[in-house]
Amino acid sequence: MATGIDSWTLARPEIFLAAATCLLLIWGVVRGERSVNLVSGATALALVATAALLFLPFREGTAFASLFVVDRLTATMKALVLVSSAVALLMSRAYFEKVGAWRFEYPILLALAALGMMLMISANDLMSVYVGLELQSLALYVVASFQRDDARSTEAGVKYFVLGSVASGLLLFGASLIYGYCGSTQFARISQALLEGRAAELGVVVGLVFFVTGLAFKVSAVPFHMWTPDVYEGAPTPVTALFAAAPKVAAISLLVSVLMGPFKPLFAQWQQILVAAAVLSMLLGAVAAIRQTNIKRLMAYSSIGNVGYILLGLASGTEKGVQGVVFFLAIYVVMSLGVFAVILTMQRQGKMVEEIADLAGLARTRPMIAFAMLLFMFSLAGIPPLAGFWGKLYIFMAAIEAKLVIPAVLGVLCSVVASYYYLRIVKVMYIDEPGVALDRTPIGVNAIVAGVGAAVVALFSLLPQPLGTAAAAAAKGLFP
Amino acid sequence: MLADLLHFFTTHWLGQVLVILAQCLAVTVPLLVSVAYMTYVDRKVWASIQLRRGPNVVGPFGLLQPFADGLKLVLKETIVPSSANKVLFVLAPMITFITALVAWAVVPFDDGWVIADINVGILYLFAISSLGVYGIIIAGWASNSKYAFLGALRSAAQMVSYEVSIGFVLVCVLLCTGSLNLSKVVASQAGGFWHWYWLPLLPMFVIFFVSALAETNRTPFDLPMSEAELVAGFHTEYSSMTFGLFFLGEYANMILLSAMGAVLFLGGWHAPFDVAPFTWVPGVVWFALKIAFLLFIFSWTKGTLPRYRYDQLMRLGWKVFLPVSLFWVVVTAAMLQFGGWVPKG
Amino acid sequence: MELQALAFYVFAAITVVSAAMVVGSRNPVYSVLYLILAFFNAAALFLLLGAEFIAMILVIVYVGAVAVLFLFVVMMLDINLTELKQGFLRYLPVGATIGVVLLLEILFALGVLGASKGTVAELAAKGVPVSSVENTRALGRVLYTQYFYLFQAAGLVLLVAMIGAIVLTLRQRPGVRRQNVGDQLYRRRDKAVTVVKVPTRGGVR
Repeated sequence: MATGIDSWTLARPEIFLAAATCLLLIWGVVRGERSVNLVSGATALALVATAALLFLPFREGTAFASLFVVDRLTATMKALVLVSSAVALLMSRAYFEKVGAWRFEYPILLALAALGMMLMISANDLMSVYVGLELQSLALYVVASFQRDDARSTEAGVKYFVLGSVASGLLLFGASLIYGYCGSTQFARISQALLEGRAAELGVVVGLVFFVTGLAFKVSAVPFHMWTPDVYEGAPTPVTALFAAAPKVAAISLLVSVLMGPFKPLFAQWQQILVAAAVLSMLLGAVAAIRQTNIKRLMAYSSIGNVGYILLGLASGTEKGVQGVVFFLAIYVVMSLGVFAVILTMQRQGKMVEEIADLAGLARTRPMIAFAMLLFMFSLAGIPPLAGFWGKLYIFMAAIEAKLVIPAVLGVLCSVVASYYYLRIVKVMYIDEPGVALDRTPIGVNAIVAGVGAAVVALFSLLPQPLGTAAAAAAKGLFP
Repeated sequence: MLADLLHFFTTHWLGQVLVILAQCLAVTVPLLVSVAYMTYVDRKVWASIQLRRGPNVVGPFGLLQPFADGLKLVLKETIVPSSANKVLFVLAPMITFITALVAWAVVPFDDGWVIADINVGILYLFAISSLGVYGIIIAGWASNSKYAFLGALRSAAQMVSYEVSIGFVLVCVLLCTGSLNLSKVVASQAGGFWHWYWLPLLPMFVIFFVSALAETNRTPFDLPMSEAELVAGFHTEYSSMTFGLFFLGEYANMILLSAMGAVLFLGGWHAPFDVAPFTWVPGVVWFALKIAFLLFIFSWTKGTLPRYRYDQLMRLGWKVFLPVSLFWVVVTAAMLQFGGWVPKG
Repeated sequence: MELQALAFYVFAAITVVSAAMVVGSRNPVYSVLYLILAFFNAAALFLLLGAEFIAMILVIVYVGAVAVLFLFVVMMLDINLTELKQGFLRYLPVGATIGVVLLLEILFALGVLGASKGTVAELAAKGVPVSSVENTRALGRVLYTQYFYLFQAAGLVLLVAMIGAIVLTLRQRPGVRRQNVGDQLYRRRDKAVTVVKVPTRGGVR
């Protein structure tokens, strides 16, 4: 009952981030718009420092009357979220300065969103799930419409808000049913109630379906993906970069810890849902992206497809599957941040452009950037020996081991179809005649991110060991 | 016979209902008389400040003036504008008047003299006083007149703004009391006027009083009915008794907020000195005197202060009162915690 | 007991009817007013349950603040409901399906349909009795101890909402003169006024 000193040490990274954000907020309010560069730099630093705090030293256990849990999986996922948020934040400055919306609230909101994701990942109670989810969603709705004088950005924000609210509503409805039948919101008690025979109740299953549906909205799995392309296209590009990375990690992590934790006894039921969602997502991601002309929309469909692979890994329900999910997520985050870094360098006559056709002839005008993009595209398509290949391999192996052969085969086929549009981008860059060439911007954060990302993707095969070990350690906690 | 009657009134449901009705009448009738005389006193005080004589024709010293006014209002024709929304137009003054009356259910007049001694008395008062805004906003909208609508918008914004700081004031008081029950709030202020909360919570008392002025749309916060710009604000289109109900509601609200002030800060029914000649006077008299004192300040401010400009009014509410009252909540909590004065229970 | 049951049915019926009217009424202002009525009756239902704190908070927060703002917005916007209702028939089947599914689920959970054991009703009957502690006190006791974490996290959610509202709407307009109360108070008489002797028929120079 009492929140002893242990709670405070366990939640130290979160408390640090919250305190740092509040201080920076006050600093920003007092200093006004002048402070924006300082606030954003300090926020990025705070995010990284929080990530460091997670492991220095690493402690596990539950805190705050079992509302909050820390273990290897949550720590790994949080680190992923924090680092990707920090990178997304650093990538934002050039874009927002160009459109004149570079204001100090942006880093603050990003940090609060990251904090919300941390709370989500660490949730050990249905109520903590909801509060964390709302914290991150609310902050993200705002940053989606941060370019408030731009109609598309505003539209993206509103769309994301409305559909996100529906998703939250579904999640709450499911949570209330689960609470009603299991008699508790605590994960441990739910698990106990399910083992004691509540699993047979249809109400619990219905509740679970709603709960998973709510989360499926957040990770944009088919058939709850409708908002994704519009929001990705409309939101400011750095925000889209963030959307494609951090919130996905958080929501997937939450799915893993909820399904593998309290709802393990209902494995047979949720496996069907996940397999269906996974197969549909993979199919849609592969097919619908083909006709896109806007690269942000294309990345939206690509992210839907990738979520399909992740869900497939999760649906296997084994230690290997969870390991694959962590592994794939880490690689996916690097690839997607890298692609968006490339997109953020695309300017023509001082204006940001985002059509695929604008990339034409990039290989001749900016060979380095084009080569980085080529690596990302090949990696997303899953061509060996790039990093993306290993991620997919892990997932498919886990799925086949769990006797999900048909979905795995479908996944491979989808992957083949999807490589068509990834390769089309390469073709546009390398073979098409350039129209008006893109500007030669000076090397900034985005070029560096793209370069580092490309290097990681290319050289991953030389040293896959650390990530593999980390993923294995993270997955181990769930399977004692 | 007597035992039978007692039995009937305490156990039979009809008897209980009758008792409650009687209690309600016992509160409402004196209240309405006070409202009537409040209008009289208000005008008298105002006149004295301006070196006039005020009402002095009807009855001795003009004492029957309120009844003459009331009679006049009742006898006039009720005019409903043709483009107004009839139902809401008629409903609005009733809402104002009724909300001003129902709040009295939880006010303790003396030890045990209260219709409903509920656990969440403070919250009830707060809830009811936040409803008063509906009468105004509906009146403004239903009148279908620009003056009325603008007045209603101003008034509603103003009331909502000042309610926030009133809320924090209430939090301070209930931190000191440890209960939301109004009788307990008064009981915890027993023993001499230096035990009343006005002293330890002086800044909150000031904020409460100023917010009460704003909440009742009184000078210097009477922008909603500033004659020069908005004719008469939200009740521009009202006449006869519909207007009368607004008028009564406004004064009843003033008395209510004064009563709140007396209960929360001036020790309710307690005598100012806990010694013999003062304690002989019944508590209800002390309570009435305290209300009268606060009402006098209401009239006094009306006679002396000029009107605020609208942006100044909003600034005062959100940028001064809100931070100060929030800060004072923290201070109060810290004092109680570290001074070891946390109320038991 | 019968009186309580009667009160329950009256309040519940008014809640349901006014909730239906929120959707059904032609005038959006009426909709908001019906919404307020529904809130009121919901508060009354809470009172019947013995949850006086929640009842009062419902009135203070929803009726006293949220609905006032709704009413503001609705009165200011000239919403044309006929236009809004154009798509009504088109969306009706979808909406109705979802509504019916949700209703069926609730009925199912309550055990009205399919008498499976372990319905919410059965669980509620086994639940803890309402304790004799005042519920304000009871809430206070767990809010700052057991649920401290959620309380703080909810605070952060509100902080985000506040930052969001400000960042999306606040605009600094150039060329607006702002009142600075400090400057006004620091102004001295000798800086603002000069006393001059005006000679008769000379005027002020």
